[in-house]
Amino acid sequence: MKDQVGGNQKRDRFQTLCQSLRPDLLRFAFWLSRDRALAEDVVQETMLRAWKAQDSLLDEAAAKPWFLTIIRREYARSFERKRFVTVDVDELIAREEPMLAAAEEQDLAELRNAMFKLPDEYREPLVLQVLMGYSTAEIASELDLSSAAVLTRLFRARKRLRALCGEDTSLDPQE
Amino acid sequence: MMDHAQFRRAMLGDPNDPDPKLRAHREDCRECTVYAERLLRFESRLDRALRVKLPGRGDWVAPEHSAGSTDADGSDGVVPFPAKRSLRSSRSTTYRRGWLAMAASVLVAVLVAGVLWVGAPGASIAADVVTHMAAEPGAWLKTDRPVPDVELQKVLRNTHLRLATGSAVISYASSCKFRGHHVPHLVIQTESGPVTVMVLVHEHESKPVQFDEQGYRGVIVPVPGHGSIAVLTHAATTDIKTVEGIAARVVDSIVWTG
Repeated sequence: MKDQVGGNQKRDRFQTLCQSLRPDLLRFAFWLSRDRALAEDVVQETMLRAWKAQDSLLDEAAAKPWFLTIIRREYARSFERKRFVTVDVDELIAREEPMLAAAEEQDLAELRNAMFKLPDEYREPLVLQVLMGYSTAEIASELDLSSAAVLTRLFRARKRLRALCGEDTSLDPQE
Repeated sequence: MMDHAQFRRAMLGDPNDPDPKLRAHREDCRECTVYAERLLRFESRLDRALRVKLPGRGDWVAPEHSAGSTDADGSDGVVPFPAKRSLRSSRSTTYRRGWLAMAASVLVAVLVAGVLWVGAPGASIAADVVTHMAAEPGAWLKTDRPVPDVELQKVLRNTHLRLATGSAVISYASSCKFRGHHVPHLVIQTESGPVTVMVLVHEHESKPVQFDEQGYRGVIVPVPGHGSIAVLTHAATTDIKTVEGIAARVVDSIVWTG
């Protein structure tokens, strides 16, 4: 009986944790995959894997990076399973258009489309930094890169993104 | 001494980099100040663009199995998820029981979520606070330079409060429109980095509300008779306990004058 109560509390706590992190995890998965349905699948699988391995989460404060790592691995697995060969960015944009160009956020549609066009190696660190609030060192650790390499990717990501959005890049430094 | 190209390269890598060399160059170079401001505006739009609204498939419900258990077939795969299990074609009693259990779980989850939603207006306050933060990325600079006292007093005018933060530097002060009211938006430099404080005298919470959204981690603390105070950080390394500790110190440092 006592065990069951403890189990229920653990379950409720874990579920609350998942619910609080889910919006951000879903966004991260979406920008990683550029596919809402796939992002939802990845997050579902991530939560199941996390649920199963929750004993390895010793500090709840570290939950978000822990989930993000699982998401990245789960996404990589789905990629292997589906054996995507080529990605037609225009097709991806058209498919997700209702979300990328929500009526009340028309001014952001161009920027979102440009994000879709960024190569994975630039898009991922940028999302980790801007959306998830990761520091350069944290991104480096997550992506297994040096801090210098992360900064180079972020530099190129913003440069390319700004160019895609028609921003004035005349004052941007050369590589 | 940093040159223009180095400054702009660093800004493109991390527009919120608190490096004092960047700040020094920015203060000395008008052209780079304009460049940085333009970049920060773009960054603010980028932040909003990434926070795309994703209608999920509903709340996630943890499986009834205990964590670490194996599947019914004995395999060590992923713990089965009720929604996926429902797709199986089995018509066994176990399956029907599973359905009932799932329906009961969903019902309980919906009821709990409903109760939490009704009883926790702070959730939407937190969302609004986070949205507001995204519009002011420049406020997160790590600096030891305090905001001019005149500016701070202007922001605190008509708020019936003053701050006794001791040696802590208040590096940013702005009177911001939030939910129809002008509220003080302050940034205090702490040992854990810049911490934003919003004094929300018009928002009343019954208990502290924690939030962790879009890179912002914080807490909204009720202050009896004076609304609520939102305290948040933008550093992934600062845990919620630290934020709560900072919030307690902030609340203690406020002297209410009316």
